[in-house]
Amino acid sequence: MPQDMPPVGGYGAVQYRRNLPTRGFRPAWYLVGMGLVMTFGFYKYGVGVREHNELAREKMWSRIYLTPLLQAEEDRDQVRRHWADLAREQELLGRQTKAYHSDRFVRPTFAVTPEKPLKD
Amino acid sequence: MASREARFHKQVLIDTTPLPDHIPKVKEIGASSAPLMSASFFIGARCRAYNDDYMQCKTEAHGTGEVDCMREGRKVTRCAASVIDDINKHCLQQFRAHWQCLEDNNQQMWNCRTAERPFNKCVFDNLKLEKVIPGTPPNVVPVHQRRKQIFADNDQSKDLVFPTTKAKTADTKATA
Repeated sequence: MPQDMPPVGGYGAVQYRRNLPTRGFRPAWYLVGMGLVMTFGFYKYGVGVREHNELAREKMWSRIYLTPLLQAEEDRDQVRRHWADLAREQELLGRQTKAYHSDRFVRPTFAVTPEKPLKD
Repeated sequence: MASREARFHKQVLIDTTPLPDHIPKVKEIGASSAPLMSASFFIGARCRAYNDDYMQCKTEAHGTGEVDCMREGRKVTRCAASVIDDINKHCLQQFRAHWQCLEDNNQQMWNCRTAERPFNKCVFDNLKLEKVIPGTPPNVVPVHQRRKQIFADNDQSKDLVFPTTKAKTADTKATA
């Protein structure tokens, strides 16, 4: 018994490919484009960081130049209060004591305050 | 900044006892933060030596600097006061415009370039004090002199103009 055989000359081609037009550029170009955009963005970011650094430097030095001035004022005030404390102690107790076994200046933890608020 | 309330502040810690008479009197600077910040670079330019002296004295005193360095501290305060006085004398309008701008702009210097440029110029012309930011890389323009900045107002035509300054200096010269 003869078997089914392909027709003479073979079957026609099976159309599996879609005939759509290819859109846009080749994919590699998109990669290149993204690289360019990113490079530009990072460059601008770097410029901004540099500028921020300079602004921070400006701010720090403005403070550094003021620090001795502010510190001097505070120190004078502390010494004034400290000597006033010592004089008060001398007056009330007749002697001056030291709370610490050291000659260093220690910012007081407690302070004498007037009972009633003063008017100034 | 402080995470807790200040309990010992000036309203509570009242002690009006003055310093003893053998300590020379010095008038405190008496300026608030914005004017000080505005003048800081000029204070630094004129008083750097005094400031360094004082800080070195404090470092070398090892804990007794508060008492031992009062002499240097007075010099620091007097020098800074002299700068503020001179600025007030010669560049009052520009100074006022700049520190009020700082006050209104969160004390961010880049927000006040339009007021700062005439101020710096006036101080340089009259007092010969120049704003220099130490440590700026040598190959870049200092940030306060840049023509183009990302954050600041670049437009130099928006710089504040102070028309009476020249007349004022002319007046003082004429009287002197």
